Amino acid sequence: MKTLLKKTLLGTSIALASLGMQVQAADTIKIAMAGPVSGPVAQYGDMQFIGAQMAIEQINAQGGVNGKQLEGVIYDDACEPKQAVQVANKIVNDGIKFVVGHLCSSSTQPASDIYEDEGILMITAASTSPDITNRGYELIFRTIGLDDRQGPVAGRYIVEQIKPKRVAVIHDKQQYGEGIARAVKATVEEAGISVVMFEGVTAGDKDFSALIAKMQKEDVDFVYYGGYHPELGSILRQSKELGFNAGFMGPEGVGNPDISAIAGEASEGLLVTLPPSFDLDPKNAQLVEAFKAKGQDPSGPFVMPAYTAVELMVQGMKGTEGTDPLDVADYLRNQGPFETPIGTVEYDAKGDLKEFNFVVYTWHADGTKTPAATQEAAN
Amino acid sequence: MTESLLYFTQQVINGLTVGSTYALIAIGYTMVYGIIGMINFAHGEVYMIGTYLSFIVIAGLTMLGLENLPFILLTALIVSMMVAGAYGFTIERVAYRPVRGSKRLIALISAIGMSIFLQNYMRLAQGPRDIAMPGQIQGGWSWTLDGNLLNLSYMQVIIFVVTVISMWSLHLFISRSRMGRACRACAQDQGMTNLLGIDTNQIIAVTFVIGAALAAVAGFLLGLYYGVVNPMIGFIAGLKAFTAAVLGGIGSLPGAMLGGLILGVTESMTAAYFSTEYKDVVAFSLLVLILLFKPTGILGKPEVEKI
Repeated sequence: MKTLLKKTLLGTSIALASLGMQVQAADTIKIAMAGPVSGPVAQYGDMQFIGAQMAIEQINAQGGVNGKQLEGVIYDDACEPKQAVQVANKIVNDGIKFVVGHLCSSSTQPASDIYEDEGILMITAASTSPDITNRGYELIFRTIGLDDRQGPVAGRYIVEQIKPKRVAVIHDKQQYGEGIARAVKATVEEAGISVVMFEGVTAGDKDFSALIAKMQKEDVDFVYYGGYHPELGSILRQSKELGFNAGFMGPEGVGNPDISAIAGEASEGLLVTLPPSFDLDPKNAQLVEAFKAKGQDPSGPFVMPAYTAVELMVQGMKGTEGTDPLDVADYLRNQGPFETPIGTVEYDAKGDLKEFNFVVYTWHADGTKTPAATQEAAN
Repeated sequence: MTESLLYFTQQVINGLTVGSTYALIAIGYTMVYGIIGMINFAHGEVYMIGTYLSFIVIAGLTMLGLENLPFILLTALIVSMMVAGAYGFTIERVAYRPVRGSKRLIALISAIGMSIFLQNYMRLAQGPRDIAMPGQIQGGWSWTLDGNLLNLSYMQVIIFVVTVISMWSLHLFISRSRMGRACRACAQDQGMTNLLGIDTNQIIAVTFVIGAALAAVAGFLLGLYYGVVNPMIGFIAGLKAFTAAVLGGIGSLPGAMLGGLILGVTESMTAAYFSTEYKDVVAFSLLVLILLFKPTGILGKPEVEKI
C-alpha cells in the first residue's frame, strides 16, 4: 500500500513537472548560444555569451518579443568541428530555431550546413572565414567582417606603416588562421615586399625554437601570425628568450589579455587587427554601463557583435510578427538598414555586412590596447 | 660555411632539448611496459598534473614573500614529485591492479579511461584555459660569429643535464639496488618472483610511483621552460613520449633516452630544412620505417615467448 502511494505521488509529480515545462516552453522563444565554454579559446566564447545574454535580458525587461520572453541556452562546442556538429544536431533536436554562434570558423562551417538544412537561423558574431557565406545559404548571417577584409587591412598597414624588408607569414593550418594568413601574404607581395617564409605550425604545440631559429637565419624583420593566442603567445615568449627581435602582428584571434599572461613583456608592441572598440562609441554608453554594473567587460571584440546578433533576430521577429526563421532571414536581408550597437547594419545577398571595418591596435604587456599610430591608413 | 654550420648547431641544440623532455616522459612508459607489459596511457596526464603542481607551489611560495629562487624551485620540484608519485600509486591501485589478471586489452581501456578522467578532472579543478607563469630562469649564453648568433639558454642546459642525471640514477637504481633487482626479476617472471618471497604488488606500485615522479620532473622542467600549462598538454606530450619509447625499443631505459633524442632532433631538422608543417609527418614516418625493419625498436630486445 505504502509503495503504491509512493508510486502515485512520484507519477503525479513527474506529470506536474512536465506540465510545468510545457507551459514554460510555450511562453518563451529559445535562442541557442553556441561557442566554446571549454577548450583553449573559451575566453572568446565568454565574450559572445555575455553579449548575447545581455541583449536577451534587456529585451525581456522591455516586455520581450511579440508578447513572449526570450530564453538563452548555452551549448559548448569547445571550438572543435566534430563537437560543433553534435551541438548543431542537439539544437535541432531541442527544437530551437535561432542560433547565435558559432565562434571558430572551422566550427561554424560544418554546423551551418545543418542549420541551413533544418531551417534554423544562425548569426555568428565572430567567424570571419569568407567560405561560410559563400555557399548561397539563406539562413546564415554574421555581425562581423570577413578575413578577406581583415587580411588586406593588416597587409596594407604592414606595407604602408612598417615597410619591412623580409616578412614571414606563419599560420596554424586551420581555416581561420590560414585563410587570413594567405590574404595578408597576397597583399604584402603585391606591394613588392618579399615573403621569405610561409609556414604552418600545429595548434597545441609548445616548442617553436626550431621555427624561430629559422626566422633568425632568414633575417626576417616582420612576422604575421594567422591563428589564436596560445601559439602566438609561446612564439613571442620564446622569441624574446632567443633574442629574435622582429615585429609581430596578428588577427583578432590573438587580441585578448591572455596573450599578455602567456608572453608577458614580449607582448608589448604586438600589432592586432580588431573590430573597432564599440564600447568607446558614445552611443553605447548606457549599454556599457549595464555591462559594468554586472561586473562584465564590454571591451572584448565579440561582445557587441553578439549583442547585435540577438537584437537583429528580435527586430526580424517584430518586423514579421512571427518566429519563422525564413521570414526573419528575408526581413534582415531586405528591410535594412538597422540601427545597432555596432553601427548601421545592412546585409548583402550572401548574409555579410555591407560595411565593417577592422582597425589596427597596438597591444601592451598589461593586456590593454591602444589604436596603432596613423590609424587613418588602416581604415 | 660558418653560417650554415652555426644554424645546424643551433637546430641540434633545439632538437636535443625537446628530445630530452620526450625522453623524460618516455621513461615512465618504458618502465611500466618493461615490468608488467602494459601501456600506461594515463602517464601523459601525470606529466600535466606535475606541471600544474609546480606552478601552484611556485606561485604559492612567491605569494608568501619568499625570494630565494633555488629554494622555491627545489621545493616545487620535490612537492610535485611527491604528489605526482601519490597519483601514480593511486592510479595503479584504482585502475590497473583490479584488472591485472584479465586480458591486456581491458587494462588498456582502463588506462584510456583514467586518462580522460584526469584530463577532465583538471579541467574542472583548474579551469580549461591556459595558465601562464613568468619565466623564473632566464638568459643564457650566446656567441656571435661573423654576425651570426648561436643561443644556448640556461633552461636548455638544465633540461638536458637533469634528464641525463635522472636517467643515470634510474639506471643505477635498477641495476645495482636490491629493489631494482626485484624489479628486474619481476619483469622476467612475476609468478616465480612471487614464489621466491618478493611482494610483486609492492614492486609494481614502486614502478608506478617512480614513473610518475619522473613525469613530474618533466612537468616541472617544461613548465619552467615554456611557462604555459593547460589540461590538454598531457595528451600530445604523452603521444610523443610514447612514440619515443617505441622508437628506442619499449622496455629499454637507454632506448627511451635514445628514442627521445632522435625524435626531437628529427623534428627540429625537418622544421629547419624543410617546413614546420611537416615535422610530425617526418617524425612518424621515421617511426614506421624503423618498426618495419626492426619491430622491437632500436635498442629493444626480441621478446622470448614464455612457455
